[in-house]
Amino acid sequence: MNTPAFIQYLHDTGLGAAMRGDGAGTEWLFPIVETLHVFSLATVFGSIFMVDLRLLGLTARDSAVSRLSNEVLPWTWVSFGCAVITGSVLSMGKIDTYWSNQHFRLKFLCMALAGVNMLIFHFGVYRRVAEWDRVLPAPLAARAAGLLSIGLWTGVIFFGRWIGWDT
Amino acid sequence: MFRPFATWLAATPLSMAFQNALWLVPTSQSIHILALAVVFASALMINARLLGFGASGRSVSQLAATLVPWIWRGLAVLLVTGAIQTITEPMRQFVAPVFWAKMVMIVVALSWTMWFARAVRSNAAGWDSGATRPGSARTFAIVTTFLWLAIIVCGRFIGYTYAFYV
Repeated sequence: MNTPAFIQYLHDTGLGAAMRGDGAGTEWLFPIVETLHVFSLATVFGSIFMVDLRLLGLTARDSAVSRLSNEVLPWTWVSFGCAVITGSVLSMGKIDTYWSNQHFRLKFLCMALAGVNMLIFHFGVYRRVAEWDRVLPAPLAARAAGLLSIGLWTGVIFFGRWIGWDT
Repeated sequence: MFRPFATWLAATPLSMAFQNALWLVPTSQSIHILALAVVFASALMINARLLGFGASGRSVSQLAATLVPWIWRGLAVLLVTGAIQTITEPMRQFVAPVFWAKMVMIVVALSWTMWFARAVRSNAAGWDSGATRPGSARTFAIVTTFLWLAIIVCGRFIGYTYAFYV
Protein backbone atom coordinates (compact mmCIF):
# COMPACT_ATOMS: atom_id res chain seq x y z
CA MET A 1 0.00 0.00 0.00
CA ASN A 2 1.28 3.49 -0.81
CA THR A 3 1.99 5.79 2.10
CA PRO A 4 0.24 9.15 1.74
CA ALA A 5 2.61 12.15 1.63
CA PHE A 6 1.20 13.58 4.87
CA ILE A 7 1.79 10.33 6.75
CA GLN A 8 5.35 10.15 5.39
CA TYR A 9 5.86 13.79 6.41
CA LEU A 10 4.76 13.06 10.03
CA HIS A 11 7.07 10.04 10.12
CA ASP A 12 10.03 12.11 8.87
CA THR A 13 9.64 15.04 11.29
CA GLY A 14 12.14 15.54 14.11
CA LEU A 15 9.49 14.48 16.62
CA GLY A 16 8.82 11.30 14.63
CA ALA A 17 12.54 10.47 14.71
CA ALA A 18 12.73 11.23 18.44
CA MET A 19 9.78 8.88 19.10
CA ARG A 20 11.73 6.13 17.33
CA GLY A 21 14.61 6.83 19.72
CA ASP A 22 16.83 8.14 16.91
CA GLY A 23 19.24 10.56 18.53
CA ALA A 24 20.94 10.87 21.88
CA GLY A 25 18.66 11.31 24.88
CA THR A 26 15.48 10.18 23.11
CA GLU A 27 15.69 6.46 23.96
CA TRP A 28 13.17 6.83 26.78
CA LEU A 29 10.80 9.22 25.04
CA PHE A 30 8.41 6.52 23.78
CA PRO A 31 7.87 4.80 27.18
CA ILE A 32 7.43 8.20 28.87
CA VAL A 33 4.82 9.46 26.38
CA GLU A 34 3.18 6.03 26.49
CA THR A 35 2.86 6.25 30.30
CA LEU A 36 1.28 9.72 29.98
CA HIS A 37 -1.13 8.19 27.43
CA VAL A 38 -2.05 5.49 29.99
CA PHE A 39 -2.78 8.18 32.65
CA SER A 40 -5.02 9.98 30.14
CA LEU A 41 -6.89 6.98 28.75
CA ALA A 42 -7.42 5.63 32.27
CA THR A 43 -9.19 8.84 33.25
CA VAL A 44 -11.20 8.89 30.00
CA PHE A 45 -12.41 5.31 30.37
CA GLY A 46 -12.85 5.35 34.16
CA SER A 47 -14.91 8.54 34.13
CA ILE A 48 -17.10 7.65 31.15
CA PHE A 49 -17.64 4.17 32.64
CA MET A 50 -19.18 5.74 35.78
CA VAL A 51 -21.71 7.72 33.70
CA ASP A 52 -22.52 4.63 31.60
CA LEU A 53 -23.03 2.53 34.73
CA ARG A 54 -25.37 5.18 36.12
CA LEU A 55 -27.40 5.11 32.88
CA LEU A 56 -27.65 1.34 33.31
CA GLY A 57 -28.72 1.86 36.94
CA LEU A 58 -25.74 -0.08 38.29
CA THR A 59 -24.16 2.65 40.44
CA ALA A 60 -24.98 5.96 42.17
CA ARG A 61 -28.69 5.21 41.89
CA ASP A 62 -29.44 7.97 44.43
CA SER A 63 -27.81 10.67 42.24
CA ALA A 64 -29.64 12.37 39.36
CA VAL A 65 -28.17 11.48 35.94
CA SER A 66 -27.68 15.14 34.95
CA ARG A 67 -25.91 15.96 38.21
CA LEU A 68 -23.56 13.01 37.93
CA SER A 69 -22.72 13.68 34.29
CA ASN A 70 -22.12 17.41 34.94
CA GLU A 71 -19.74 16.38 37.69
CA VAL A 72 -17.91 13.63 35.83
CA LEU A 73 -17.81 14.68 32.16
CA PRO A 74 -15.35 17.59 32.61
CA TRP A 75 -12.84 14.92 33.72
CA THR A 76 -13.61 12.96 30.55
CA TRP A 77 -13.10 15.94 28.23
CA VAL A 78 -9.87 17.19 29.80
CA SER A 79 -8.36 13.71 29.86
CA PHE A 80 -9.59 13.02 26.31
CA GLY A 81 -7.69 16.13 25.18
CA CYS A 82 -4.56 14.79 26.92
CA ALA A 83 -5.08 11.34 25.34
CA VAL A 84 -5.36 12.89 21.85
CA ILE A 85 -2.15 14.87 22.30
CA THR A 86 -0.12 12.02 23.84
CA GLY A 87 -1.61 9.51 21.37
CA SER A 88 -0.75 11.67 18.35
CA VAL A 89 2.85 12.06 19.51
CA LEU A 90 3.05 8.34 20.35
CA SER A 91 1.95 7.30 16.86
CA MET A 92 4.37 9.55 14.97
CA GLY A 93 7.47 7.35 15.18
CA LYS A 94 5.88 4.50 13.23
CA ILE A 95 2.89 6.25 11.70
CA ASP A 96 3.79 4.83 8.27
CA THR A 97 3.14 1.27 9.51
CA TYR A 98 0.33 2.18 11.95
CA TRP A 99 -1.86 3.85 9.37
CA SER A 100 -2.28 0.59 7.43
CA ASN A 101 -2.46 -1.55 10.61
CA GLN A 102 -5.88 -3.23 11.00
CA HIS A 103 -5.97 -2.87 14.80
CA PHE A 104 -5.06 0.83 14.52
CA ARG A 105 -7.94 1.34 12.07
CA LEU A 106 -10.40 -0.66 14.18
CA LYS A 107 -9.45 1.47 17.20
CA PHE A 108 -10.41 4.64 15.33
CA LEU A 109 -13.57 3.02 13.99
CA CYS A 110 -14.62 2.22 17.58
CA MET A 111 -13.78 5.76 18.68
CA ALA A 112 -15.81 7.26 15.81
CA LEU A 113 -18.78 5.02 16.64
CA ALA A 114 -18.47 6.00 20.32
CA GLY A 115 -18.65 9.64 19.18
CA VAL A 116 -21.76 8.98 17.07
CA ASN A 117 -23.34 7.11 19.99
CA MET A 118 -22.62 10.08 22.28
CA LEU A 119 -24.14 12.58 19.79
CA ILE A 120 -27.29 10.47 19.34
CA PHE A 121 -27.63 10.23 23.13
CA HIS A 122 -26.95 13.91 23.73
CA PHE A 123 -29.29 15.28 21.05
CA GLY A 124 -31.83 12.51 21.57
CA VAL A 125 -33.05 11.15 24.89
CA TYR A 126 -30.76 13.43 26.98
CA ARG A 127 -32.70 16.55 25.82
CA ARG A 128 -35.59 15.29 27.95
CA VAL A 129 -33.37 14.28 30.90
CA ALA A 130 -35.46 16.40 33.31
CA GLU A 131 -38.29 13.88 32.81
CA TRP A 132 -36.18 10.82 33.72
CA ASP A 133 -33.31 12.24 35.80
CA ARG A 134 -34.19 10.07 38.79
CA VAL A 135 -36.36 7.45 37.11
CA LEU A 136 -35.14 3.86 37.47
CA PRO A 137 -34.72 2.18 35.12
CA ALA A 138 -33.72 4.98 32.74
CA PRO A 139 -35.40 4.99 29.27
CA LEU A 140 -34.30 2.18 26.96
CA ALA A 141 -32.49 4.64 24.64
CA ALA A 142 -30.38 5.88 27.58
CA ARG A 143 -29.56 2.37 28.79
CA ALA A 144 -28.67 1.29 25.26
CA ALA A 145 -26.36 4.33 24.89
CA GLY A 146 -24.62 3.43 28.18
CA LEU A 147 -24.10 -0.20 27.18
CA LEU A 148 -22.86 0.72 23.68
CA SER A 149 -20.48 3.28 25.16
CA ILE A 150 -18.90 0.68 27.47
CA GLY A 151 -18.58 -1.79 24.58
CA LEU A 152 -17.08 0.70 22.13
CA TRP A 153 -14.56 2.19 24.59
CA THR A 154 -13.55 -1.34 25.60
CA GLY A 155 -12.91 -1.92 21.89
CA VAL A 156 -10.78 1.23 21.71
CA ILE A 157 -8.59 -0.03 24.58
CA PHE A 158 -8.32 -3.62 23.27
CA PHE A 159 -7.36 -2.58 19.75
CA GLY A 160 -5.04 0.09 21.14
CA ARG A 161 -3.20 -2.48 23.26
CA TRP A 162 -3.00 -4.84 20.27
CA ILE A 163 -1.23 -2.25 18.09
CA GLY A 164 1.80 -2.61 20.35
CA TRP A 165 1.89 -6.38 19.72
CA ASP A 166 1.76 -6.03 15.92
CA THR A 167 4.84 -3.93 15.42
CA MET B 1 16.18 -15.64 45.77
CA PHE B 2 13.27 -15.27 43.38
CA ARG B 3 15.14 -16.50 40.32
CA PRO B 4 14.90 -20.22 41.20
CA PHE B 5 11.21 -19.73 42.01
CA ALA B 6 10.66 -17.94 38.67
CA THR B 7 12.47 -20.75 36.84
CA TRP B 8 10.35 -23.37 38.61
CA LEU B 9 7.11 -21.44 37.99
CA ALA B 10 7.87 -20.96 34.29
CA ALA B 11 8.28 -24.76 33.94
CA THR B 12 4.93 -25.64 35.56
CA PRO B 13 2.20 -27.02 33.26
CA LEU B 14 0.00 -23.99 34.01
CA SER B 15 2.65 -21.48 33.00
CA MET B 16 3.51 -23.54 29.88
CA ALA B 17 -0.15 -23.63 28.89
CA PHE B 18 -0.38 -19.84 29.35
CA GLN B 19 2.82 -19.32 27.34
CA ASN B 20 1.41 -21.40 24.49
CA ALA B 21 -1.84 -19.42 24.36
CA LEU B 22 -0.45 -16.43 22.48
CA TRP B 23 -3.69 -14.47 22.74
CA LEU B 24 -3.77 -14.70 26.55
CA VAL B 25 -1.24 -12.04 27.61
CA PRO B 26 -2.46 -9.29 25.22
CA THR B 27 -6.07 -10.02 26.27
CA SER B 28 -5.14 -10.04 29.96
CA GLN B 29 -3.21 -6.77 29.52
CA SER B 30 -6.20 -5.13 27.83
CA ILE B 31 -8.47 -6.15 30.71
CA HIS B 32 -5.75 -4.97 33.13
CA ILE B 33 -5.89 -1.51 31.47
CA LEU B 34 -9.71 -1.37 31.70
CA ALA B 35 -9.55 -2.26 35.42
CA LEU B 36 -6.73 0.18 36.21
CA ALA B 37 -8.78 2.88 34.48
CA VAL B 38 -11.70 2.23 36.84
CA VAL B 39 -9.45 2.26 39.93
CA PHE B 40 -7.40 5.28 38.87
CA ALA B 41 -10.33 7.46 37.78
CA SER B 42 -12.31 6.60 40.94
CA ALA B 43 -9.36 7.44 43.20
CA LEU B 44 -8.67 10.64 41.26
CA MET B 45 -12.26 11.87 41.57
CA ILE B 46 -12.36 11.15 45.31
CA ASN B 47 -8.99 12.81 45.89
CA ALA B 48 -9.85 15.91 43.86
CA ARG B 49 -13.06 16.24 45.87
CA LEU B 50 -11.08 16.01 49.14
CA LEU B 51 -8.73 18.75 47.93
CA GLY B 52 -11.68 20.97 47.12
CA PHE B 53 -11.60 21.15 43.33
CA GLY B 54 -13.71 19.54 40.68
CA ALA B 55 -17.48 19.80 40.78
CA SER B 56 -18.93 19.53 44.26
CA GLY B 57 -22.31 18.06 43.28
CA ARG B 58 -22.07 15.10 45.61
CA SER B 59 -20.77 14.99 49.17
CA VAL B 60 -17.54 13.20 50.11
CA SER B 61 -19.47 10.39 51.79
CA GLN B 62 -21.76 9.93 48.75
CA LEU B 63 -18.77 9.90 46.42
CA ALA B 64 -16.93 7.40 48.64
CA ALA B 65 -20.00 5.14 48.88
CA THR B 66 -20.27 5.09 45.05
CA LEU B 67 -16.62 4.88 44.06
CA VAL B 68 -14.79 2.91 46.77
CA PRO B 69 -16.63 -0.35 45.89
CA TRP B 70 -15.48 0.14 42.27
CA ILE B 71 -11.89 0.54 43.50
CA TRP B 72 -12.19 -2.90 45.20
CA ARG B 73 -13.82 -4.49 42.14
CA GLY B 74 -11.17 -3.01 39.84
CA LEU B 75 -8.39 -4.21 42.15
CA ALA B 76 -9.82 -7.75 42.13
CA VAL B 77 -9.66 -7.78 38.31
CA LEU B 78 -6.14 -6.28 38.42
CA LEU B 79 -5.04 -9.03 40.80
CA VAL B 80 -6.36 -11.83 38.55
CA THR B 81 -5.00 -10.38 35.27
CA GLY B 82 -1.72 -9.41 36.95
CA ALA B 83 -1.38 -12.98 38.27
CA ILE B 84 -1.99 -14.39 34.76
CA GLN B 85 0.75 -12.16 33.35
CA THR B 86 3.15 -13.07 36.19
CA ILE B 87 2.52 -16.83 35.87
CA THR B 88 3.10 -16.62 32.11
CA GLU B 89 6.39 -14.68 32.37
CA PRO B 90 7.59 -14.89 36.00
CA MET B 91 11.23 -14.01 35.37
CA ARG B 92 10.31 -10.82 33.52
CA GLN B 93 8.43 -9.58 36.61
CA PHE B 94 10.59 -10.88 39.46
CA VAL B 95 13.92 -9.52 38.22
CA ALA B 96 12.61 -5.98 37.64
CA PRO B 97 13.05 -3.65 40.67
CA VAL B 98 10.07 -1.58 39.43
CA PHE B 99 7.86 -4.67 39.84
CA TRP B 100 8.72 -4.87 43.56
CA ALA B 101 8.38 -1.09 43.97
CA LYS B 102 4.93 -1.41 42.40
CA MET B 103 3.90 -4.22 44.80
CA VAL B 104 5.01 -2.24 47.88
CA MET B 105 3.14 0.88 46.72
CA ILE B 106 -0.01 -1.15 46.00
CA VAL B 107 0.00 -2.47 49.58
CA VAL B 108 0.40 1.09 50.95
CA ALA B 109 -2.28 2.61 48.69
CA LEU B 110 -4.63 -0.28 49.39
CA SER B 111 -4.33 -0.14 53.20
CA TRP B 112 -4.64 3.64 53.21
CA THR B 113 -7.79 3.46 51.04
CA MET B 114 -9.26 0.90 53.48
CA TRP B 115 -8.55 3.33 56.30
CA PHE B 116 -10.24 6.14 54.32
CA ALA B 117 -13.34 4.04 53.54
CA ARG B 118 -13.73 3.06 57.20
CA ALA B 119 -13.14 6.60 58.49
CA VAL B 120 -15.77 8.09 56.14
CA ARG B 121 -18.31 5.39 56.98
CA SER B 122 -17.96 5.94 60.71
CA ASN B 123 -18.06 9.77 60.54
CA ALA B 124 -19.88 10.78 57.32
CA ALA B 125 -21.04 14.17 58.61
CA GLY B 126 -17.55 15.10 59.80
CA TRP B 127 -16.02 14.26 56.40
CA ASP B 128 -18.75 15.99 54.39
CA SER B 129 -18.07 19.44 55.83
CA GLY B 130 -14.77 21.08 54.95
CA ALA B 131 -14.62 22.64 58.43
CA THR B 132 -14.70 19.35 60.35
CA ARG B 133 -12.89 17.07 57.85
CA PRO B 134 -9.80 15.49 59.44
CA GLY B 135 -6.53 17.16 58.50
CA SER B 136 -5.22 13.80 57.34
CA ALA B 137 -7.70 13.93 54.42
CA ARG B 138 -5.41 16.27 52.44
CA THR B 139 -2.36 14.09 53.07
CA PHE B 140 -4.33 11.01 52.01
CA ALA B 141 -5.53 12.70 48.82
CA ILE B 142 -2.13 14.04 47.75
CA VAL B 143 -0.05 10.98 48.66
CA THR B 144 -2.40 8.32 47.24
CA THR B 145 -2.76 10.27 43.96
CA PHE B 146 1.03 10.18 43.54
CA LEU B 147 1.09 6.53 44.62
CA TRP B 148 -1.43 5.50 41.91
CA LEU B 149 0.52 7.50 39.31
CA ALA B 150 3.78 5.87 40.41
CA ILE B 151 2.15 2.40 40.39
CA ILE B 152 1.15 2.92 36.73
CA VAL B 153 4.64 4.20 35.84
CA CYS B 154 6.28 1.16 37.46
CA GLY B 155 3.82 -1.22 35.82
CA ARG B 156 4.49 0.21 32.37
CA PHE B 157 8.25 0.21 32.92
CA ILE B 158 8.50 -3.50 33.86
CA GLY B 159 8.42 -4.25 30.14
CA TYR B 160 11.06 -1.65 29.32
CA THR B 161 13.58 -2.43 32.08
CA TYR B 162 13.47 -6.18 32.85
CA ALA B 163 15.96 -6.96 30.07
CA PHE B 164 18.65 -5.11 32.04
CA TYR B 165 18.42 -7.64 34.87
CA VAL B 166 17.76 -11.00 33.19
